[in-house]
Amino acid sequence: MLTDSGFWFVQVLNSLQLSMLLFLLSVGLTVIFGLMNFVDLAHGSLYALGALSGYSIARATGGMWLAYLLAPLCVMLVGALLYVLIIDRMRKAGPMKQVLVTFGLIFVLLDIQRYIWGTDQLGVTSGIPFSGSFVMFGETYPTYRLFIICVGLLVFAALFLLLEHTRLGAEVRASVDDPETASCLGVNVERTFFVVFLIGSALAGLAGVVALPAFSAEAGMGVSILVPTLVVVVVGGLGSLKGAFAGSLLIGTTLTFGQVFFPSFASILMYALLVAVLLIRPSGLFPARG
Amino acid sequence: MQNLMNFRFALAALTMIAFLVSWSGAGYFGMELLAEIAILGLLAMSLDLLAGYTGLVSLGHAALFGCGAYAFAAFTVLWGWPASLAMAAATLLTGLLSLIVGAVVTRVQGIFFIMITLAIGEMGYEIIFKTRALGGDDGLAGIPRLDLTAIGVDLNDPGAFALFLLLILPVVYLLLRRLLASPYGAILNGLHDNPVRMRALGLPVQRYQISIFAFSGALAGFAGTLSAQHTMFITPQLLHWTTSGEVLIMVILGGLGTLVGPVIGAATVTLLRHELSDLTDYWSLWLGVFLILVVMGGKNGVVGWLEAGWSIVRRGRVKRSSNDASR
Repeated sequence: MLTDSGFWFVQVLNSLQLSMLLFLLSVGLTVIFGLMNFVDLAHGSLYALGALSGYSIARATGGMWLAYLLAPLCVMLVGALLYVLIIDRMRKAGPMKQVLVTFGLIFVLLDIQRYIWGTDQLGVTSGIPFSGSFVMFGETYPTYRLFIICVGLLVFAALFLLLEHTRLGAEVRASVDDPETASCLGVNVERTFFVVFLIGSALAGLAGVVALPAFSAEAGMGVSILVPTLVVVVVGGLGSLKGAFAGSLLIGTTLTFGQVFFPSFASILMYALLVAVLLIRPSGLFPARG
Repeated sequence: MQNLMNFRFALAALTMIAFLVSWSGAGYFGMELLAEIAILGLLAMSLDLLAGYTGLVSLGHAALFGCGAYAFAAFTVLWGWPASLAMAAATLLTGLLSLIVGAVVTRVQGIFFIMITLAIGEMGYEIIFKTRALGGDDGLAGIPRLDLTAIGVDLNDPGAFALFLLLILPVVYLLLRRLLASPYGAILNGLHDNPVRMRALGLPVQRYQISIFAFSGALAGFAGTLSAQHTMFITPQLLHWTTSGEVLIMVILGGLGTLVGPVIGAATVTLLRHELSDLTDYWSLWLGVFLILVVMGGKNGVVGWLEAGWSIVRRGRVKRSSNDASR
């Protein structure tokens, strides 16, 4: 098994694909954490909302392309609503209350999703782009999973450009680095946070709708993805794009290869990794703030 | 301050009386509810010691609760120990485990503390979930209850078992109240308010945090042994982080750092769940809304509301009496 190049090919692609989904989810969360020290447990529910609303849009339009566009927008709108109603008011409240309010939000969003979409697994079968498969090293592999990897890499590149080469990016970096000084220098930190929150929500929705054809959607999917996402954020270091990317690769690889070599201990490995990182480098691998 | 302590003590006494009155009129289902409330009340009080009094918000407390339950089940079902010995051993074992876990987790603070307790708790969940000898995801059944027939009590009777738990509750409450009134309790409060200043005062901060983590864990494990006896069937869900979250909800709803609040919170959530699940399939939606409103309301849960109401009543009375004096 270990000398078989086909095996490695499939597993490496699998871990890349899981890593890219985790990256889409964690990148918004890490900046929300890092920028305002805000703990947002409801981020996973936005992922589920992306998949579920994507399902409805795909059903209505008969294809996935509109869903890729509209589902993140839907999720962004819900994110904006949450921000205005709740997040903004909890900004100064300390991590404990934020954990509790967003934990309450998990319940609320989960039940709303159950009410609208029911509890069944919902899959899209028609109108999926790249639905074929290809053969390499004697293994057949679904093309769609390559598409997921490409989306992740594209988003990483786009965010990198946004952060390093635009005014908004400079403001975000300044606000993560030192919010007080940034606001003294005329950066509207509040507005920056709002924009980041919207982008983060939209990316969580994008992750959901991109995952939909590969894994199908259900109301509970947000809760199960939440913990690996939080692990990525903490392992990578709060507030950093590089950290979210590296953390996603590390956790995606650990989970995928753990599943292959030690099927009973894959998630235990992930938690052990988190504990080890917290003890050795408490601020994560690539923290935004030194 | 003294006044507030007396008010809370009176509240605890009233809560206890309410439990006993409802026990005397309860049917089979009511007994089961009361037993559940008592167990969750114990667990919530143990979490309050950490989260409310010491400022260590743990999202892995259910894993210690589950550890107690599983250790008790393993000792009785698999090894055939008598229940009394198993209870003591399981509590001790959970306490020891908490000591080790506490030594690791107290090295990080704030949001990282929340994350590391979540991770270690989930590790526990996964280990139990995958261990076939402990039933894995099927759970473990056939757990016996404590044998008190020597003093003429049959704990297999739901009424007797509920009363047994309802009597443990005030005993633990009084012990914890005593502990918190001691110099040790004052140190915990100091750690909650300002750990940096406590260190500057020459206090070994981490050692105290580990000690309360171990003590709180042992108490959670004790509650776990009672929970295993109550349901007689346990599943890994006991250890899951969402269970920790629910207990944290009880602590917050009742009132953080009030000791009686968590018990009131446990009763509120258990009753709400029972009442709402009769009315609607989406009861957790309303629980979530309720939680969000309580946390955003700014007061310290149910106890906070009651204290605010009480101080208005008292101020009114003081004003009236001073008016009388000036006349």
